[in-house]
Amino acid sequence: MRNNQGNSIGISTLESVPSKKFTAKKLRLFAKPYLYLLPTFLLLWIWMYYPLFSTFSLAFQKWGMVPGTVPSPVGFENFVRLLTSKDFGVSILNTVFYTVGIIPFSIIIPLILAVATHNMEGKMKNVYRTMFFIPLILAPVSDGAIWRWMFHPTNGLVNTVLLDLGIINTNIAFFSDPLFAKWLILFITGWKMMGFGTILFSAALTGISKDYYEAISLDGASRFQQFKDLTLPLLSPMILLILMMSLLFSSQWTFAYIDMLTRGGPFGTSTNIYYEMYKYGFANMDVGLSAAAALMFFVVFGIIAFVFNLFSKKYAFYDN
Amino acid sequence: MKHKRFTFVTVFQHFIMIVFSLLAMFPLYWMIISSFKNESEIFTSSLIPMVPTFQNYIYAFQEMPILRMMLNSFVVAILLTALQLVTSILTSYALVRWQVKGATIIYTILSLSWLIPMQVIMIPNYVLINQLGLNETLIGIVIPLSVSTFAILSLYQSFRSFPQALIESARLDGEKDFFILVKIILPNIKSTVASLGILLFISGWNEYLWPMLITTEMENSPIQIGLRSFVNSDVNMWGSLMAATTISCLPILLIYFLLRKHIIESFVRYGIK
Repeated sequence: MRNNQGNSIGISTLESVPSKKFTAKKLRLFAKPYLYLLPTFLLLWIWMYYPLFSTFSLAFQKWGMVPGTVPSPVGFENFVRLLTSKDFGVSILNTVFYTVGIIPFSIIIPLILAVATHNMEGKMKNVYRTMFFIPLILAPVSDGAIWRWMFHPTNGLVNTVLLDLGIINTNIAFFSDPLFAKWLILFITGWKMMGFGTILFSAALTGISKDYYEAISLDGASRFQQFKDLTLPLLSPMILLILMMSLLFSSQWTFAYIDMLTRGGPFGTSTNIYYEMYKYGFANMDVGLSAAAALMFFVVFGIIAFVFNLFSKKYAFYDN
Repeated sequence: MKHKRFTFVTVFQHFIMIVFSLLAMFPLYWMIISSFKNESEIFTSSLIPMVPTFQNYIYAFQEMPILRMMLNSFVVAILLTALQLVTSILTSYALVRWQVKGATIIYTILSLSWLIPMQVIMIPNYVLINQLGLNETLIGIVIPLSVSTFAILSLYQSFRSFPQALIESARLDGEKDFFILVKIILPNIKSTVASLGILLFISGWNEYLWPMLITTEMENSPIQIGLRSFVNSDVNMWGSLMAATTISCLPILLIYFLLRKHIIESFVRYGIK
């Protein structure tokens, strides 16, 4: 128990250590940290990095995922097909649409909700926050099923109510109407994510000292000025963090709803880049096309993440 | 005068909050009451079931192996939580305890993998799982997701803020490194690990794309995937579907109401992917 005391911190021990044993020990000491890292990096290699490189190489091959067949090289054909396909262009535009469209739900509304609940006295503050949060923790499938039921083309609540109120004359098939489909996907994703920003902003607000507000209100600053000159700057690291998460992950957040509610339709009007990858791969069995889309978007998203990282390092101040 | 303006603002604030709370909660409410409506009521817009019935639940259990799927979900979520915690604890510990060579590379590899979406790697992983014969199994769902770089990056922060002096003094006492981790560090950051665990459980329970690729039979699927195929089968049994959806939400809602503070804290601390 005691004999590794000496060499681990470099204090000489009473018993002298034979040099051969010492090297073995040294090796063991050198290897030890890597043994702790081994499970993670082994799993990461097998299930993330190796498949990532496989995907990159599949992007230059043609394959239908049929057992017993092997992929055959096709050069840049997949990229050409991808860039000339109309669906792909639409899916990119929609990806941008969802990414930008989520920002009001992940930042602006949460900011309002957090600031408004922040100064509330008593229990209501937590009651509200508890409620905003519930859509977030429920499974996308459950949320999707509920919304699909509410917007059901013939029997859904929304149609029934709109008909009863005389706003519409005939039922609307919301999810198969190009006018509504992608806005509804955005709305439902936003509805789910609303509580996330709210909770983060609330936490950040709790961390701001009340003294600041007292000082600035002594200077005669109005509520709006206080918000603009004090709250917003102090929340800026959090705003940047949520903005980054929204940019990076919004396409994944919408995925389940696209799959549950519209399957990318009608006529590909509500699809996004990740859903197209899924469709190319598992509906059309066109592995090369899926991989080419993956490669392109991995590069683009990588660049965005990198730039954003630089940006937030430069402008935001994190104090942990 | 000032007091009056204040109350107006307060009333307005509460009004806004109530509107948003209703927006957040109404779909959930509609799910629950739909699940108790009988056949003649299900297509009406009445806000309470006039003649509440359990029929939908009975149908749901007849149509779907709900208990089996719930069990699958629990197994998947618990295994994922355990594996992700183990891998992330070991990794964070190694990075904090030793000055490893190549720490920058290690950190870069971890951060980059945080950015790899499942959609980019799903095809090779799917092929590999098939080759291993693990499709339609829970292990096939769990194994590829058993490292969460998100969890590692989050936990690393907590490990770093652990007082080095405590680790140092344990080392001087000649304690084994694994002992230091298990007996000294972990008991002290129990609550951190627990709150991360809750978060991992929730995301494991809610996992979507990967389980959907791996399992097609309801008996082998987590409840989410079973629900998905039930929705897509286009049977017009919305009462039963809402009953099944309600059941699928119960564990998460229960955990949420029991551990609300911890859950919110863990979201605040760790964010989301």
